Amino acid sequence: MKHMGNTPLVYLLIITGCVLAISCISVLLWFLGDASWQFWQAFGLSPLWADEWYPYESLYGLLPAIIGSFWVMIIAMMIAVPCGLSAAIVSSEILPLSWQSWIRMGMEILAGIPSVVYGLIGLWVLLPWLQNIFDLLTGHSLLAAGMILSLMILPTMMVMAQDALRLIPLEQRETAMSLGLNWNQRLCRILLPQAWPGIRSGILLGLGRALGETMAVMLVVGSLDRVPQPIYNILEPAQTLTSRIGREMGEAAFGSMHFSALMACGLVLAATAIFLSLLSQQHRGRLNV
Amino acid sequence: MLYLLIKKLLLGDDSLMKKMILAGLTLCLISPADAAERISIVGSTTVLPVISQAAEVYHQTHPDVTITVSGGGSGVGVASVIQKTAQLGMVSRHTTVEEQAKLNGQVDDIVIATDAVAVAVSKAVYESGIHQLSLEQIADIYRGKVRNWKDLGGIDKRILVIDKEASRGTRHVFAKAVLGNTYARAEGASIISGSNNEEQMIIARNDNAIGMLSNAWLNDKVRGIDIVMHGKAIAPTIEHIRDGSYPISRGLHVLLAHAASKETKTFVQYLLSEQGQAIVRRVGYLPVR
Repeated sequence: MKHMGNTPLVYLLIITGCVLAISCISVLLWFLGDASWQFWQAFGLSPLWADEWYPYESLYGLLPAIIGSFWVMIIAMMIAVPCGLSAAIVSSEILPLSWQSWIRMGMEILAGIPSVVYGLIGLWVLLPWLQNIFDLLTGHSLLAAGMILSLMILPTMMVMAQDALRLIPLEQRETAMSLGLNWNQRLCRILLPQAWPGIRSGILLGLGRALGETMAVMLVVGSLDRVPQPIYNILEPAQTLTSRIGREMGEAAFGSMHFSALMACGLVLAATAIFLSLLSQQHRGRLNV
Repeated sequence: MLYLLIKKLLLGDDSLMKKMILAGLTLCLISPADAAERISIVGSTTVLPVISQAAEVYHQTHPDVTITVSGGGSGVGVASVIQKTAQLGMVSRHTTVEEQAKLNGQVDDIVIATDAVAVAVSKAVYESGIHQLSLEQIADIYRGKVRNWKDLGGIDKRILVIDKEASRGTRHVFAKAVLGNTYARAEGASIISGSNNEEQMIIARNDNAIGMLSNAWLNDKVRGIDIVMHGKAIAPTIEHIRDGSYPISRGLHVLLAHAASKETKTFVQYLLSEQGQAIVRRVGYLPVR
């Protein structure tokens, strides 16, 4: 690749790409900020911890949806990260090569299924199941949303982790083996630390999707604007920021306070995603030192 | 690659390539001038079955007119007419004062049918003996004062109270008739649903649900109960809509902009014609003529 580095075309492409990416992000943030400005101006930051959302009474409390989004994300990651990681380890380290490609194909198919299909699967299969197991009034719950999401981010997690593991050079494995390290030591001391940047990207991409997914969550979360009682109760219907935007964006007239409030929900989501991403960047910096 | 192509094109060192690219560009620029007239219709999922069936029949006699129909709710229907993203809005309630101000007298509000908003319960609830309720009892359920079917003479099961998104026409009409105010809060709500389909599915899938549904969506698993008025039980039937005795009935409207195309206006006339009204009857609503 190095001999291409000097041609102006490559430079041009790289610079164009960077400028495009940066401007896309800034235009998006500017748009969200601009569209929600009316809302922040009128209410300040207090809606972030107010818990009543009744747009027709000019009450715009974001807290129930923020808590909902938080729980859904946590649940999804708690299921998807261990499952994705172990699936990646099993398929790239243990199973023969011919199986690997099948598993990978399965994961890629999973990743390609439209989110509304996941939502409907949740509606038909997961909700009645949860309802029976926990004897709930309805299966619509944060737990259901988190479980559906975990299924949706599992392929991303697994494929990224698998790629990272496969990129570790053979010499390192051979050296580790010749040193007499057992499988556990090889995995925890050599493979996982080396693959961590890739795994981390997988986690971040998954987090982003978990935060931003609308359709599937909307169908199973119940869309009820109420802070869970008690706050860790994940078996009751609740609301997430995305499902609120999805449900109410169509009716909110462009330029109205309601519209601005929904844009504020979007801004909170975007800010959270950027914050998480920055946090992990810092973390990586510390690891490299 | 692209850079090279453009360079080749500009320098003209390959006339065949140049011709091909120019031909391609020209093809892209030609728009289908004689394209069929498109009418997009958006809004209430209560009005939707009438319009989509009418559109199908209409397309057979007017093959040059393509009609796309999509839901979203009455609020979305009004918003798309205001924002001019749809030619025709479907609305299952009266437009609000704010909406009228935005519509600015530039639309005709045409009633094409009348229906009843039925109080729908799961089959199991109906069969346990809940055949009729008074408006006060229904209000108690939605306000969270009554939480078990046992208290109303039914099975010993908690009530799954289904509320609707605040912009939905059915919600407006129901809340006005039962709770006294179009945007009244329903503290007893267990979950929030959107379209008639979604609500119908939740009621059918559960054995303890109550919801609000247009009478055309009732079936074996989703039963409409009678409403007790002055000591008399009144079922949500066409006869009771016609004689005005059923308390929660409403007109189903389409919003037609004055500036709409000739084809759109002809289609609305078709809806009001004998054939159009026959479709209204077939769907299960009361025709207007």
